[in-house]
Amino acid sequence: MLPRAITGYGVTSTLGIGHEAFVSQLRSPHPLEPAPDRKLATIDLVKYPKARAFEVPGFDASKYLGDKGLRTLDRLTKLAVVAARLALADSGLKKDNQFVALSPERVGIVCSNAYGSLEAITELNRVAKLEDPRYINPAVFPNTVANSASGYVSIWEHLRALNVAISDGNCGALDAVACADIHLAQGRADAILVGGAEAMHEALFLAFSLLGTLDHPDHVRQVGHLSLAEGAAFLVVEREKIARARGAQVIGEIVGYGTSFESPEDGSTLIGPSGDALGRAVLNALADAKLDPSDVDVVASSLSGLHRADDAERVALDRVFGESIPVAAPKLVLGETLGAGGAFGMAAALAWIEGAPPSIMISGKAPDHVETVLVTSLGFYGNASAVILRAPEKR
Amino acid sequence: MNPARVLVTGLGVVSSIGLGRRAFFEALAEGKNGISRIESFDTSRIGRDYGGEVKVFHARDHLTAAETRRMGRCSAMALAAARMAVEDARIRPSHLGGPRTSIVLGTTMGEADVLGDIDRTWIARGLSAIRRAHLPKYGSTLLPIHLARAFGTEGTVIALPAACAAGNYAIGYGADLIRQGRADVVLAGATEILQELQYSGFARLAAMAHTRCQPFDLNRQGLIVGEGAAVLVLESEAHAVKRGATVSAEVGGYGLTCDGYHITRPHPDAVGSIEAMRQAITRSGLTPSDIDFVNAHGTGTKANDAAESKVMHDIFGARTKSVPISSMKSLIGHCMGAASAIEAVGCIFTLETGIYPPTVGYETPDPECDLDVVANVARTGKADVVLNNSLAFGGYNAVACFAKPGVLPPPPALEAL
Repeated sequence: MLPRAITGYGVTSTLGIGHEAFVSQLRSPHPLEPAPDRKLATIDLVKYPKARAFEVPGFDASKYLGDKGLRTLDRLTKLAVVAARLALADSGLKKDNQFVALSPERVGIVCSNAYGSLEAITELNRVAKLEDPRYINPAVFPNTVANSASGYVSIWEHLRALNVAISDGNCGALDAVACADIHLAQGRADAILVGGAEAMHEALFLAFSLLGTLDHPDHVRQVGHLSLAEGAAFLVVEREKIARARGAQVIGEIVGYGTSFESPEDGSTLIGPSGDALGRAVLNALADAKLDPSDVDVVASSLSGLHRADDAERVALDRVFGESIPVAAPKLVLGETLGAGGAFGMAAALAWIEGAPPSIMISGKAPDHVETVLVTSLGFYGNASAVILRAPEKR
Repeated sequence: MNPARVLVTGLGVVSSIGLGRRAFFEALAEGKNGISRIESFDTSRIGRDYGGEVKVFHARDHLTAAETRRMGRCSAMALAAARMAVEDARIRPSHLGGPRTSIVLGTTMGEADVLGDIDRTWIARGLSAIRRAHLPKYGSTLLPIHLARAFGTEGTVIALPAACAAGNYAIGYGADLIRQGRADVVLAGATEILQELQYSGFARLAAMAHTRCQPFDLNRQGLIVGEGAAVLVLESEAHAVKRGATVSAEVGGYGLTCDGYHITRPHPDAVGSIEAMRQAITRSGLTPSDIDFVNAHGTGTKANDAAESKVMHDIFGARTKSVPISSMKSLIGHCMGAASAIEAVGCIFTLETGIYPPTVGYETPDPECDLDVVANVARTGKADVVLNNSLAFGGYNAVACFAKPGVLPPPPALEAL
């Protein structure tokens, strides 16, 4: 792919909200620790004493969006809109929430999300079952479609070019890069918000909990555990020439993407994270970027604490790079944010490119200077994707 | 170097008027009506009870026992349509497996009934009653993954939820993957099921008619929700030529815009829809005078049909009244995410046969929709280039162009636009 300019990003994360808070927390990260009272805004964890679930602390969308129009928005949408708004400001495309560079017709969004608004769907299923299907709130109903968060971002941020929602589980936010690259190449937009969003909800938590992934005492040694979390992250990705022409500060470049799929060996199961698929995705990304494995300074991996997936990823990385490659695991401090995960991996990569020392190292020594970062996403179902980011070329 | 031409070499469809190419084509030609009383869930408290329900589809006819256990009805319809498409394309497994084949599927809510079942169990019988094996079946992510497993593909697997424009999104993106050199073959399409929550929601939005959908008619009462799936086999020209494929159509350019206006209402000036249609034409290297037929979004709601008429007049000007337009939603209902994929199959039917499928129930012309509607019976005419409109809730506009092989100029160079 042609190098694509990144001119800013915005996050709503367990580490904080906004580019600066994110970078400063990432410099000296603390492992995720549950709040002592075990109360979240979305779930009361007192009932689940061992489970690990994390929210964006103290998230209040009205601080960023004002009070008006928030009532029918779900948490997923609010996390996404705030991250998008911060990204557009960070990139200099908007000031005081008005476009000051490019026109709304040339700015689009590609947004990954894995499970939709469980908040809206579950509640409306409840209304239909317990009360009456005629009581379904018509203002909430549109939130049940899988693309509603990106739809709302386009409305709140006046994005009039393309609007694409992606579901590819944990890989979606990296696939969003490929999708944005294609649309930039096709001239459908000059700048695209690229990233993903996922919201904590009781149903999501219970599903992962029932599947034995959240620190279940009998299973933890066998399967490991996730720290299930939420958040949204968007990078502003632009056609390089246009970004330079508008005098934007380019903070990084996306230079390669790869993906692959490998069917699980067992025909009776849906779950089968594949090291082979990830290895191919990484090689494809390197080829796409015309880089060798030795060019990569550090990997922002998708290691999450789930043994089966982590083992597959470690084997794949060892096979491509050898054991000396420095590997970091941003998910150990950001949590597993599913559809948003790859976007957080890219945000971490940008923080390191900007000078924050790589942290949360799982193996290898953190490099003193970071030029090139590989970001990986390993899906639960045999899907895998990889993206390569580089420091911007000096011009 | 210009990007590859993208060809349609196979198609598969699951619809309320027929399964597979032959049945579906015959049904379109005769204007068969697939709208009937819903049987798959209890509608007694919803206030509506008609839909484009696919009553002849049995997953077990198309899937193995293990596959039927692994997936819900939404995925099963997609997989069945994909298998029909692969059969139709006469493409060998060796041409299909591996890294150069991708799967792109659109949807609105995916396996919403899997989640509905889980929610109902949780509410009525408690957490302990939920079958753990049932949980991972939910998630739109899985729709294309089931297909990738079935065909042994290793390229991109991606679901594009884009409300009721999802079919065109998927076909357009599949074509882009080929043009961009990221794939040689793409199975692209969309799938959607009729399901209680979605049905109730449309009823609550007061957008639903009682027994029939009458697009562009003065007395239209709204949409009728339907279901189904369709998958196209898209191939690069080089790949199709090399294996001696029979070509049904060429995929032209497509238009993609976003109203950024309201989550359910179309933009009053329809600017995004106009731009999407204009892009589909210019990106195919054509002018409006080259368009022979338009498959309408045509939902049968007051707002959509009036807005779409405005778009038609803006694009075609004085020629509007001589551009035949028809809405398949009068036959199969609004199949939501799957709509534009199923209707893309209809577009290919028109290109292959020269028949424009009818808009049934068209009785009283609406002066606000001053168009050449193909009223009640199919019509024949020139069919070299057709457009497929999707103007969805949330301001998602996607318009695709399909043409007879050999009609379109070469696709424009990348980064040149």
